Amino acid sequence: MPERASDRLVRMLGMIAYLERHEDVPVEQVAAQFGVTPEQVMADVDTLWVTGTPGYLPDDLIDFDASSYEQGVVRLTEGRGVTRPLRLGPREGVALLAALRSLAALRPAMDAERAAVLDSVLAKVQAATGDAAAGVPVDVELQVGAVPAVAAAVGAALSGRRRLRLRYVDASDVVTERDVDPVRLVTQDEHSYLLAWSLAADAERMFRVDRIVDAAVLDEPADEHPVAADADVFQPDPSGELVTVRLAGRARWVAETVPVERTRELADGAFEVELRVVQPAWVRHLLLQVADDVLDVRPPHVAHDVAATARGALAAYAPLLETTAGEC
Amino acid sequence: MPPAIPPAERLLNLVIALVNTTGRMTKEQVRASVAGYGDARSDDAFERMFERDKDTLRELGVPVLTVTHAGHGDDIGYRIDTAHWSLPPIELTAAELGVLALAAQVWQDQSLRADSTRALTKLRAVGTAPEAHDLVAGLAPRVRAGGEAFAPLVDAVQNRQAVRFTYHAATTGEVRERRVEPWRLLARRGGWVLLARDLDRDASRSFRLSRIRGPVRPVGEPGGFAPPTAEELAEAARTWGAAGPEQTALLAVTPGRAGALRARATQAPSDVALPTGAADVLAGRDLLAVPFRVDWELAEEVVGYGDAVVVLDPPQVRDAVVGMLRVAATLDARPAHHEAPHRTDVEEARGA
Repeated sequence: MPERASDRLVRMLGMIAYLERHEDVPVEQVAAQFGVTPEQVMADVDTLWVTGTPGYLPDDLIDFDASSYEQGVVRLTEGRGVTRPLRLGPREGVALLAALRSLAALRPAMDAERAAVLDSVLAKVQAATGDAAAGVPVDVELQVGAVPAVAAAVGAALSGRRRLRLRYVDASDVVTERDVDPVRLVTQDEHSYLLAWSLAADAERMFRVDRIVDAAVLDEPADEHPVAADADVFQPDPSGELVTVRLAGRARWVAETVPVERTRELADGAFEVELRVVQPAWVRHLLLQVADDVLDVRPPHVAHDVAATARGALAAYAPLLETTAGEC
Repeated sequence: MPPAIPPAERLLNLVIALVNTTGRMTKEQVRASVAGYGDARSDDAFERMFERDKDTLRELGVPVLTVTHAGHGDDIGYRIDTAHWSLPPIELTAAELGVLALAAQVWQDQSLRADSTRALTKLRAVGTAPEAHDLVAGLAPRVRAGGEAFAPLVDAVQNRQAVRFTYHAATTGEVRERRVEPWRLLARRGGWVLLARDLDRDASRSFRLSRIRGPVRPVGEPGGFAPPTAEELAEAARTWGAAGPEQTALLAVTPGRAGALRARATQAPSDVALPTGAADVLAGRDLLAVPFRVDWELAEEVVGYGDAVVVLDPPQVRDAVVGMLRVAATLDARPAHHEAPHRTDVEEARGA
């Protein structure tokens, strides 16, 4: 997609302001500062060089020192009155500030130095947005959801590129221990996941951080692994059993938050979802939560399994329920 | 014919012209003298180009002023208010820019991402050195896109302008138009929620953006309603936040099970009061004290463990779990649809 004119304008204005404050900057450094290629910087400089005030005679134009530029160094000699850094637009300030505030959720995975940087930048951006800061219309709550010691270990391993030893409880409530090379901590929606390379499986795996019982940073450095860019996007496992659940409209959140293979709308707001189930414990948990709104489950053995689990659990509650019956 | 001047260059020429003008520039002066506007092939084309450019500059934070001249009737001119041009005097370190770059990547919504990326570009101009990423290495916070309703709702909240939209209520399946005063957008539990005052019910309501059908249209004037008070907002957001005080639940857990709960557990006080019957439940089980904030969240987590976890206290969490279990116990004895009691708080939080 070609760059939008407004994005390029903002960068060119930013470059003038930056070059006004920094004399003799190599093209490569300007490129690094603005996160673009050196070729883009040169294209921007070429454009800046021919812009200016009406008339567009040599004295009207933005100007650079030509002999420095031949050496690959940019020196602004005339900024035509737009050398001060441009303030943030109303939506820009809001978008950046709301995102920055949401990062507070990552604090448990940050050491003191990183947390201090987050604080200082938040204060500065808040100052830069002025009045808009008070009325930010967007409020984002992210959750790492890990035990503090686990979050700290994961954060330290990621920033120090070290191997981790995890004790992990899977969906079936089985604890295993494994060594992994952490790739990234994905914080999204209700749960956070650690994308990591499992040495035993010799493949990438996603670990829900609220199920990491213990994490120890090992002395070994983490190796580089061929991890796909979309490795942290959930794909239904085609080998799983296909389970179809018909739900009343109130349970719409299921279709919106659980990775479903297919959703079918029915009359009266009811709907049907198809799930690929690899771990029976996972669908059992889901159906226990949403049983109120379940109209039908296929195949029937899944419904039976859930009901049997519920009856077993109710039996465990029996001693408590017998005594409270009189109070109701 | 010389090659057409690219839009970014035309915009920059307009900015420099309006910054340097001695009083103001009229549209005609812009068309005649600012490089790039001579390309317009007709009066209409120029008019559209200029209006769009002016809007673009204002969205970017460039203070374009409209200046009318006494004695010149409706003769309108423009200039840029250089007194309101700048960022406050701040300077950002490489590490701070690294955090900002991470923040700019949070949004998966295209318009929010474009806005935050431009903000980052502006702040890079006051950075002392290129951003350093090592401080935020490996962190990937993300907020999913809010769909087509999102951008118009953000604008409506900021402009305090009432809107209408068609909404599909999950509870009833009813699809009808709602008129609301939009208060705030929340990203919670995997989706976007609008907090608003429903004008037809004169009460605060929350709306899942994923259930808004079709366009969001303004129905009032900008500035048409007073912003909600802090209390109103807090009340409307109540079921969406983890704002409640931290409580402690007492759980009886089968040895070796529920490792995730055990990891969060704290030491149960030795003199803790247990409900009647707890001793029987605890025979062969461990007593765990687990901190939590939202009753139904804990109940929904615990129910998944079946008989491996029994809630002893607090009673409302235990009752919630038992309620779910009783319904689930009949799951293989349907299709007769079970009319369960309404779990109102849960429903609201789920955005029914």
